[in-house]
Amino acid sequence: MSLFSFSTNKKVIATKPKIAHFSLSTQNSWLLWCCQCINIALISAELSSWMLAIIALSFVWQALLLNKNATSHKLSSDKKNSQSKKKPDHHISPVFLGFFAIAGCLAITLSAQGLGVLLSMVHLLSFAYALKAFELKSRRDFYQLFLLGLFLVAAALIFKQDLSFALIAMVALVVNLAVLLQFFSRAQAVSNTLKTVLLLLGQSMFLAAVLFIVFPRLSPFWQVPQANSATTGLSDTVQPGDIAKLAQSSELAFRVNFSQGNIPTYSQLYWRAMVLEDYDGRAWSRTAPDPATVSHDNYQLEAINKRLFMPNTFKESEKLNYQIITEPSFQHWLFALAPATSKDNSLLLLPDYTIQSRKLLSQAKGYHLDSYLNSPLEVNIAQERKAQNLALPARSNPRLVQLAQQLAQQYPDSEQRAQAVLTQIREQQYFYTLEPPRLLNNSLDQFFFDTKAGFCEHYASAFTFIMRASGVPARLVTGYLGGEYNNLSSDGTTNRSNEAQGAQQGHLSIYQSDAHAWSEIWVEGKGWLRVDPTAAVDPMRVNSGFSTQLQQQQLALNNNLLSFNHLKKFAWLNELRLRFDALDYQWTRWVLGYSNDKQRDLLQQLLGKVQAWKVALIIIGAMAISIALVFGVMLLINHQKKQKRALSPWLVLYQKALLILANNGLEKPVNVTPQKFLLILKIKYPELSLAFARVNASFTRLNYQELTREEQKKEFKKLQQHYKNFIKATKKI
Amino acid sequence: MTLKENALTWFTQRANSWLTKRIPAANSHTLSNRNIFILPTPFGIAYLSFVLLLFLLGTNYQNNIILLLSYLLASFFITVMMHSFLNFSKLKITVPVNQQHQLGYAGQPLYFPLIISAVKKHYHVNFQLKSLPPQLNFDDRKASLACCEKGDNSRQLLIIGQQRGEYSLGRVTIYSEYSFGLFKSWSQLDFAQHVTLYPKPKRIVSKQYALLNDKTEQGESISLRGNRGIDDFSELKHFVRGESKARTAWKQLAKGQGHFTKHYQENHGGLLWLKLSDMPAENIETQLSYLTFLVNELTRTEQVFGLQLNSSHSEILPNSGSSHQQRCLQALARF
Repeated sequence: MSLFSFSTNKKVIATKPKIAHFSLSTQNSWLLWCCQCINIALISAELSSWMLAIIALSFVWQALLLNKNATSHKLSSDKKNSQSKKKPDHHISPVFLGFFAIAGCLAITLSAQGLGVLLSMVHLLSFAYALKAFELKSRRDFYQLFLLGLFLVAAALIFKQDLSFALIAMVALVVNLAVLLQFFSRAQAVSNTLKTVLLLLGQSMFLAAVLFIVFPRLSPFWQVPQANSATTGLSDTVQPGDIAKLAQSSELAFRVNFSQGNIPTYSQLYWRAMVLEDYDGRAWSRTAPDPATVSHDNYQLEAINKRLFMPNTFKESEKLNYQIITEPSFQHWLFALAPATSKDNSLLLLPDYTIQSRKLLSQAKGYHLDSYLNSPLEVNIAQERKAQNLALPARSNPRLVQLAQQLAQQYPDSEQRAQAVLTQIREQQYFYTLEPPRLLNNSLDQFFFDTKAGFCEHYASAFTFIMRASGVPARLVTGYLGGEYNNLSSDGTTNRSNEAQGAQQGHLSIYQSDAHAWSEIWVEGKGWLRVDPTAAVDPMRVNSGFSTQLQQQQLALNNNLLSFNHLKKFAWLNELRLRFDALDYQWTRWVLGYSNDKQRDLLQQLLGKVQAWKVALIIIGAMAISIALVFGVMLLINHQKKQKRALSPWLVLYQKALLILANNGLEKPVNVTPQKFLLILKIKYPELSLAFARVNASFTRLNYQELTREEQKKEFKKLQQHYKNFIKATKKI
Repeated sequence: MTLKENALTWFTQRANSWLTKRIPAANSHTLSNRNIFILPTPFGIAYLSFVLLLFLLGTNYQNNIILLLSYLLASFFITVMMHSFLNFSKLKITVPVNQQHQLGYAGQPLYFPLIISAVKKHYHVNFQLKSLPPQLNFDDRKASLACCEKGDNSRQLLIIGQQRGEYSLGRVTIYSEYSFGLFKSWSQLDFAQHVTLYPKPKRIVSKQYALLNDKTEQGESISLRGNRGIDDFSELKHFVRGESKARTAWKQLAKGQGHFTKHYQENHGGLLWLKLSDMPAENIETQLSYLTFLVNELTRTEQVFGLQLNSSHSEILPNSGSSHQQRCLQALARF
């Protein structure tokens, strides 16, 4: 943690005698200030608000100091009083700064419990970074500040990696480097500095890419504190209203790429995330994993998996292979079209057909699944599991219980009974809304009989409750429904050829707004059947995802201007959004998803047998190429400059005139001066000599005399006139 | 002398002889891959360790973006190295031939001009004299160019020496930390610059010296000023601009024969010898300082004098004029 010890080192640095006088130009100081703001802004999402307030305060302070310095500097240079040699710089007293630093560190330590290790470190880092700017006393401090800034950019990348954020981080990197470059080329304008940095970074890209592809990827050396950011997406308890809240977010949840290109119809895309089997009268929650069945013991799990996902019960022809790339949700839940199998060791396949990741999803994760959409789920279940899915808390929702008993008598067949409930929902005045009225104690009775307005989880929980009360095992399933199809993710050529074959290319993007809840009932001989009561109240939602009413609500509720619901209003903006989404998808797939295995496969393809010396050779080759690239670009730039100089318009005209003479048998040797050449011309073509003499005189003036712009223009016009006359004269010969 | 010191001196000697072979002395050098050295600065090494730290961070978090960032920064390091070379090369540095040798007094600032010709813009060019003898000191604040524009730029190396003598300036170190302070491109160029420092003139009161002279057996004395009236007239010379009007031969001027000035000779007829042993001081440096003052003073008043240092074979025969003055002063500097 030596990086964080700057704040404690301060006093040591301050008391050291400084030999070299250090100061930044005003321009550079402001650039540094902007750079610091950008760096802090990058990581601001992870900082607590009090820390942000402190940092903002110190930045404002810094800005005031800079302003004061700039004005006093101007004053002193105006007066030109050389007698006072003392610096006009305003500094904060080190005692005060030290006190401030200690207070800040104390505050961070106190809140460390809540923040967790990683976040407290990030807080400390940001705090040190903001304070360090107050004491730039030597070049060393400046360098330290620069490296701290870069580290902050890297730290921000721990938490977020999507394409847009990576691009912003790149911008921050450019600004950071520009600050450093500006220090060594003070006279340069900021725009030129930025250009130089971009050129240099551009020249470094090639080697960086090669290193990224071939440099050996190592497994983690030691355990690092993981980012425990706020979890996003579904949670493992659902109360009425939860999913409605989630559905207002336009954040990306995950993306799917179907390998054969045949995407199932929209109404089949029930992305299963969690199965909730416990109902306590208010909320649905997941059963605490039964240690007998779900332990983290691999052998037992494999046994369960074998029993549940017996390959012979699946028809190979129905196999649907696809890849899912999830966004970091800081949870364990993954998504699948049930029933799904996978050979991926990093996945846990649970008996309720849901899938978990063994590791917390703090980064984008890609995995492949095989699904068999028409296969039954768990045809035989144990008696205790059945009882679990029939359990209801005593005395909750008596009116629903009454209805259930009534239906049980009316429809002895469980499927018919379910259909009857759906019919009731369809035929009565029920509303599907993102803003359901609040329910007292989450009473399902109140929803089903009084308010009659709710989102998917209201309908699903009420339905599940009725089924349980009437004696049918039922459970609530949460996940996502549908997704947005984007065919821009494949490049144009392959897209067209695939379309010709009738296959679809592209990917599905599933957003948080696609969050959904539905129910499953268990029917003897058929296993778990999916019943989506939402289909009864808003069939559009289930069949195409397109529900005008819902979209308008989402639009009204979402005040984020950049959310795609707003963008959808304009065709071109939507196109742009889809294009960016496609790019982000490729970024996630190829850059974020580039793993050890992929590297091994790729290197094997490229090199045959992977050997260290081959990899080293590639890296050395890439280095040579990038060095050649730098020199090549330099040569090119110099060459262009020279050409520009050589091709002045008057020179072109003069050369043309000489060419005409050469065609007429009179060539001007290089070593003959224009004056001498004129004499030779006089002898050979006396009728041309006057016209050429004029051209010559004009050209000499333009080429060898220092003229102002105006004069140059005038003279060039004269030259053109003379040239025309010369041409006329030559035609007479 | 320990073994370590021995090895060190041996090493520096080898390095110096290698340098002399590789970059021989000349009054003009063009920087190229022949004479440029590039090494990472301490900050460059800190930067590399930082890149390594990022690599560890990326590996431990299995974070591809941080890994990519570390690769980019590592690759950037190499690019910067080449750019610092490109920034530094093709720079032509010239010392005018007549400026390679500078003369002056101890304690007096001396300027060595450098003409820096560039075909493109160069940044952050600094000059330093590292192998300067300890008797000289170099004011390093002034010899730097933040931005070297296309064309000729000039800078001066300011040297102040406190002790008389003849010194060689040694190699001029030229360095640049552009673009990012990660690398120091440097070169050590030998412009064959040397300096002769005369002793610092110290005023001697004429009476004091005259008194001293009276005691000497030779009975020779010098007259510094005031007793010119009794000097014998020797000749008329053509008027040279700057000569005192008091010496104008008015008679000749009035006759229209031209503008002449009268010149006188010492009435003692003998030669005037300045002797080290005559100087009224115990300290040899002070004595030399007095002599310097006297040499200047006598030259100013156009008197003929000779200089005798401690032994008879290191004497300069009496003469006058500025070249004589130079000879005397050089002898004093070398003594």
